[in-house]
Amino acid sequence: METKERTSLWAKAWYKFRRDRIGMVSLGVVLLYLVIALGVWLGLWGQDWSSIEGPMWAPPGPEHWLGTNIIGQDIFERAIYSTRTAFDVGMVVAILSTLLGGLLGALSGYFANSWVDELILWLMGVLDAIPFYLFVAALAYALQGNPYAMHIAMIATFWTTTSRLVRGEVIKLKNFEFVEAARAIGLPQRLIIFRHITPNTFHILLVQATIVFVSAIKSEVILSFLGLGITHGVSWGLMIAESTQEVQAGHFSNFVTASTFLFVLVMAFNMFSDSLQDALDPKKVSA
Amino acid sequence: MSLRNTRLLFLLCLPLLLVACSDGPDTRGQKIYRPSLGGAPTSLDPVQSATVYANHVVVNVYDTLYAYKYLKRPYELKPNLAEGMPEVSEDGLTYIIRIQPDVHFIDDPAFPDGKGREVTAEDFVYSMKRHFDPKSRSQGNWLWAGKIRGMEEWKKAGADYAQEVEGLLALDRYTVQIRLTRPFPQLVHTLAQGFSAIVPHEAVDYYGREFSVHPVGSGPFRLQTFDSVRAVLVRNSGFRREPISLEFEGYDEAVHGKYGIAEIEGRIPPLVDRLEIHFIKESLSRWNSFTKGDEIQYATIPKELLDEVLAKKQPEVKLKPAYARRYFMSSGLENGFVHTDFNMKDPLIGYNEDKEREKRNHALRCAIRYAWDWAERNRTFYNDMGFVFPGIIPPVVPEYDPHASREALEHNPDKGRRLLEENGWTPENLPTLTLGGVASVDSRQMFEQFRGWLLRIGYPKEKINFDAYASFGDYNRAVKQAKIMIIGMGWGLDYPDAENTLQLFYGPNGSPGSNASNFNDPEYNRLYEKSSVMQPSLERTQIFRRMNEIVLDSCVTISGLSRKNIFLWHKDVVAFPDQSIVGGFYFRYVDVKEADR
Repeated sequence: METKERTSLWAKAWYKFRRDRIGMVSLGVVLLYLVIALGVWLGLWGQDWSSIEGPMWAPPGPEHWLGTNIIGQDIFERAIYSTRTAFDVGMVVAILSTLLGGLLGALSGYFANSWVDELILWLMGVLDAIPFYLFVAALAYALQGNPYAMHIAMIATFWTTTSRLVRGEVIKLKNFEFVEAARAIGLPQRLIIFRHITPNTFHILLVQATIVFVSAIKSEVILSFLGLGITHGVSWGLMIAESTQEVQAGHFSNFVTASTFLFVLVMAFNMFSDSLQDALDPKKVSA
Repeated sequence: MSLRNTRLLFLLCLPLLLVACSDGPDTRGQKIYRPSLGGAPTSLDPVQSATVYANHVVVNVYDTLYAYKYLKRPYELKPNLAEGMPEVSEDGLTYIIRIQPDVHFIDDPAFPDGKGREVTAEDFVYSMKRHFDPKSRSQGNWLWAGKIRGMEEWKKAGADYAQEVEGLLALDRYTVQIRLTRPFPQLVHTLAQGFSAIVPHEAVDYYGREFSVHPVGSGPFRLQTFDSVRAVLVRNSGFRREPISLEFEGYDEAVHGKYGIAEIEGRIPPLVDRLEIHFIKESLSRWNSFTKGDEIQYATIPKELLDEVLAKKQPEVKLKPAYARRYFMSSGLENGFVHTDFNMKDPLIGYNEDKEREKRNHALRCAIRYAWDWAERNRTFYNDMGFVFPGIIPPVVPEYDPHASREALEHNPDKGRRLLEENGWTPENLPTLTLGGVASVDSRQMFEQFRGWLLRIGYPKEKINFDAYASFGDYNRAVKQAKIMIIGMGWGLDYPDAENTLQLFYGPNGSPGSNASNFNDPEYNRLYEKSSVMQPSLERTQIFRRMNEIVLDSCVTISGLSRKNIFLWHKDVVAFPDQSIVGGFYFRYVDVKEADR
């Protein structure tokens, strides 16, 4: 009898992803950024971002690769450190908002058309109706200088999309035979939801996490530019905000450096996310 | 609907469409002056007009008893609503001031039948009492606190406006009597400030809290609209007719002739129909609006563009020909200075119950001062055009000492580091420092520079924070509540006397008063009390200089720098702008050659 080797969805997805050249290149770029961020976390580089080491607006040179800003800080050091800020914000927001979205989406989907579902849908509707930047400003004001006001605002708004997607998937899954079987043997609902149904939404959560990661980085830059973002450290948004005045005086290094770092990471992450989505799409994977 | 009906509906709606397309009221044929300021007022109630931005609006919608002559320098007082200068008793304790009759408040729904009534001496008395009424939340009562007889008792007795104050009386409809507890030579100067502007009680009662955005005064303009972006003021058609005498106002052909001011001689202020005061925080946005041609007509030069705009910075400021052809310019040191204070109420850095710790805190403040690099600050943020001086007596007042020791300005990180070590400070036990400021690029970069200097004396990076506030109003409120540990501040002189800067460190003026550092030194307080009743003299100057030394020895402030002001205005504007002592008072004398088209 001929036996067919069983391959998991994850193995198939990885196989497919490896064959996607754009996906692999973008993953490489993202990993490079991650290495930079890890180096900053471990104190290997980017530690002198706040030191005043050079003259005002020094041009790029051997001592300051990308020049200095108005107060003599090294622009390259600041851009490197900002990578850590981007990953800090991106990871915290992506992980927490995905967890929250997954949890509430699963509950909403499993108890569809019950009061639990109604409540969660109402909450999502309310949060989606508030303009994001106004919400962040209001939250920052309410939290009176809390350094995590921006993170909280992002998590509080970004989970809704994930939740809607997971809800739809769970509504579909809960009628499958394996769930019927779990119910038939008397498993508690808690186990059915979190042990049997939720693991089958992981591919959605993974893709959503990458999308939220990019959104969080972009939002952080915009919020920092507006003065609503990070309160400690430096970020590409702050560098761009600084550069608005410098550009008029003919000093472009701050602007070009921060924009390039941001552009490359966002671009790479977007492409990585697209490739991941293709690789994890059950229809395409099983094909 | 028939075609005929459709056409009819279209015709009926046409006026609505046209109104929707227009950008505000029709101002064609009006003379409009559009100045700009670097911040917006948070309140237009005179008792809360603590910022230069609020003052610019307040002195134009309200009347003060006195004002400064438009062009005279050094500054000289003149009567405004008062008929003449006050009669002062020989002991300097009693002032009699007569106000002009037949001056009316603007028409407003606050008055019976909406008709503005006559301004009387009682209105002045009422306006001054408001400063001592806790409900008014005055930010200017420090000016007169403890100086007017019976005022403290009136306040303690419940601030009942029906009760008289012994030292503040309306002798008749047009005569005010002020009796002081001790001589106060600067009293008349304080009566030229927005804080002392005269308000009608009807408007305060009618608008309640909304009074802060509904000014009802007797000034040359009346407020039309006000928000965080701009204030629009229109001519008060009922304003008293007082022809301009340039000689009286201090006109000097050599100084003012080039600005075409001679042509306003004999005319009756206000000279423009409409005043649009734009509040633009970002200097480059302000500059872009100014150079565009049809927007604001008055601005300062952003620091990033000084090299592009100026042909010469020192010692004389000169515009490049391309700019000189298009704009008028005036320049000079500001009537004030910037300084950074330590909040002495904060036990981490100021006064402490543990006297040993208090001593170490003193060393810590001095070490931070050694880290401060004035030359770098001046170069980075003031284009090397600021004037750095030791202490709190700026160079524009006669008491300034050009020979004073400059040790307090010394930038010596090694000395700072040694001082920390000698006093037992280590990176582990140093307190976390928080510098307050407005959430702007400049403030943030100033903080970053400050942090960079502190790193040089061994201060751990993670122990230096920035506390950003959305607006200057929010920041100022936090300062008044003594919430900020290290306070970056600028002070514009209210009147041209060093007493006005020395009161910034007088103990009883602590938060929410003007003493943001909450410095409270017995010797300093005693000297202030002694000198504040003295007329200008050599003895008074010596006392002032001693007080300056006490502030420096206490390391309570890192001070100071007087900025060079450069004002530019369009050539079709006939004016001599001055933002500091005169404040917005000059607006009534501004003329614009061409009306709006």
